[in-house]
Amino acid sequence: MGLLSAAKARSLGGAMLALAMLVLDVPLADAQRRSRPAPSSPETPAARLPAPPMPPPPPGEVRETVQADVSARSVAITSSFTGTEIVVFGAVDNSKQPSAESGYYDVVIVLEGAPQRLVSRRKSNIAGMWLNTQSLTFESVPSYYAIVSTRPLEDAAHPLLLREHDIGFERVRMTPIRGWETGVTTADIGDFKSSVVRLKKRDGLYIEQEYGVVFIGRSLFRASIDLPANVPVGPLEARVYLLHNEQLLSTYKTRVALDREGLERVLYAFAFGQPVLYGIFTVALAVGAGLLASTMFGRASH
Amino acid sequence: MNFYLPIAEMSANIFLFLGMGAAVGFLSGVFGVGGGFLMTPLLIFSGIPSAIAVGTEAAQIVASSVSGAVAQWRRNNVDFKLGSVLLAGGIVGSAIGVQMVKILRQTGQFDFFVSICYVTFLGIIGTLMMIESVNTIRRSRAGQPTSTRKPGQHSWVHKLPFKMRFNRSKLYISAIPPLAIGMFVGLLSAIMGVGGGFIMVPAMIYLLRVPTNVVVGTSLFQIVFVTAATTILHASQNLSVDVVLALLLMIGGVVGAQFGAKAGDKIKGEQLRFLLAGLVLLVAVRMAWDLVATPTDLYSIGPALGRF
Repeated sequence: MGLLSAAKARSLGGAMLALAMLVLDVPLADAQRRSRPAPSSPETPAARLPAPPMPPPPPGEVRETVQADVSARSVAITSSFTGTEIVVFGAVDNSKQPSAESGYYDVVIVLEGAPQRLVSRRKSNIAGMWLNTQSLTFESVPSYYAIVSTRPLEDAAHPLLLREHDIGFERVRMTPIRGWETGVTTADIGDFKSSVVRLKKRDGLYIEQEYGVVFIGRSLFRASIDLPANVPVGPLEARVYLLHNEQLLSTYKTRVALDREGLERVLYAFAFGQPVLYGIFTVALAVGAGLLASTMFGRASH
Repeated sequence: MNFYLPIAEMSANIFLFLGMGAAVGFLSGVFGVGGGFLMTPLLIFSGIPSAIAVGTEAAQIVASSVSGAVAQWRRNNVDFKLGSVLLAGGIVGSAIGVQMVKILRQTGQFDFFVSICYVTFLGIIGTLMMIESVNTIRRSRAGQPTSTRKPGQHSWVHKLPFKMRFNRSKLYISAIPPLAIGMFVGLLSAIMGVGGGFIMVPAMIYLLRVPTNVVVGTSLFQIVFVTAATTILHASQNLSVDVVLALLLMIGGVVGAQFGAKAGDKIKGEQLRFLLAGLVLLVAVRMAWDLVATPTDLYSIGPALGRF
């Protein structure tokens, strides 16, 4: 399975390299100018005068861009769904990397699930028993959040860059709903936020893989990301960041649809769309099962 | 082999829940009880959210009690008039219970409340059963007669107004106690995911003085309809009935019960009650432990259902 998708990734990546020349992303170029002020400024006249045999490409001439895709654009949650693996693969166009092992580029991939309204509760001991006494509700928290990178985030990207692009568990968007809290003061909000990350990590829904992205060739890279069985239904967004020297070169976004299919879809729609009928249906099923059992076994025992 | 549960939104091992249904079905066959008080805690311990455990178990109890109810009806052991009064109370209790579940879920107190209910009721019932069965066993060892039934006495229950005649039970009593008993059992059914036989049968025998041959059939009649109503109400009000999980439990349960009933015939009544009391107390202690033990994480997260 892993090998197969790797091969698929390679052939698709090659095709994309050819396509890459045609694609020019204007907002991306914008982002590059902002995040790469360093290389252009320290130019001295001395460096300009003697024309070297292999001059470094002037900034803005041949920029690296990244393109990526996922192994499955849509994941179906069927009755046999036990989680799956999403392979994110991509290619660096105009790669200046001598080899896959050189570590010239860093790639950070963020796979983020649909936002959900979520409540975090804290227990306290009252009269010897533990019960929920405080709660804080967040308007929208990513239901799923995976960060996969070629190296630990702090080595791969500048802190400002991480903040700007909301990369990392500390920067996951969580907005408490005003007035929806119980017994929570402003000082506690940080603890509640970190509890969400901690518990989501425990459930396998927040994932960090520090060496999860691997370059296969000079320009091709891949990463496989786990989608556990308990992943909440909803579209996922994959963001791919290409970096060099902690600075952003290029980004690319793609989506993964995650939806119920088949029997799961029918039952879910039934239970939520026609709840009364669904309840009656369940009771009818129960009565049928009970009576069937008594006719099958009952006659023999009584 | 796994199956994705559509409402619980988790992948579950089919054989785990079939086996759980069979094991509880076996025990309920042995002891002649519904088994809800065992199944709901087991579902909660295995990671099913409490509200879904309770709502789904109501559907399973319908399946496990309907065949018994039909068998009792065929033997003319159902007092339909008394059963209907118990049922009327039961539906009201169930409706109140389902609303309580809704509010408790929104405020994040449902898990706690379910545990408290289990510890209280199972603790009391288990202790009483344990004392009673130990006394009976001791007396039978000493060679004394084991029957302790006293002749029918009139208590405060028989002085209440709105008297009704229940021919099948040969009773002329106020409608208030059976209504109240039915309502209480309906409330427990909705909150705890049980049939409530463990409360209703002793209440009918000791409070209403219903003849023993009618007690089981009449209580089963009430349980089938109240748990059916509870299932529909949970499905429509709390969206907390998982039909796939219910089906797995039903299949395991009805098969297990057949073997359990045969095994139960081989054990003496008071020994059975002693074992059942032990089992009831075990569940109560396990639930109590979860209430008092320091949680591994003080925080918990879940979907926001309301502004609490």
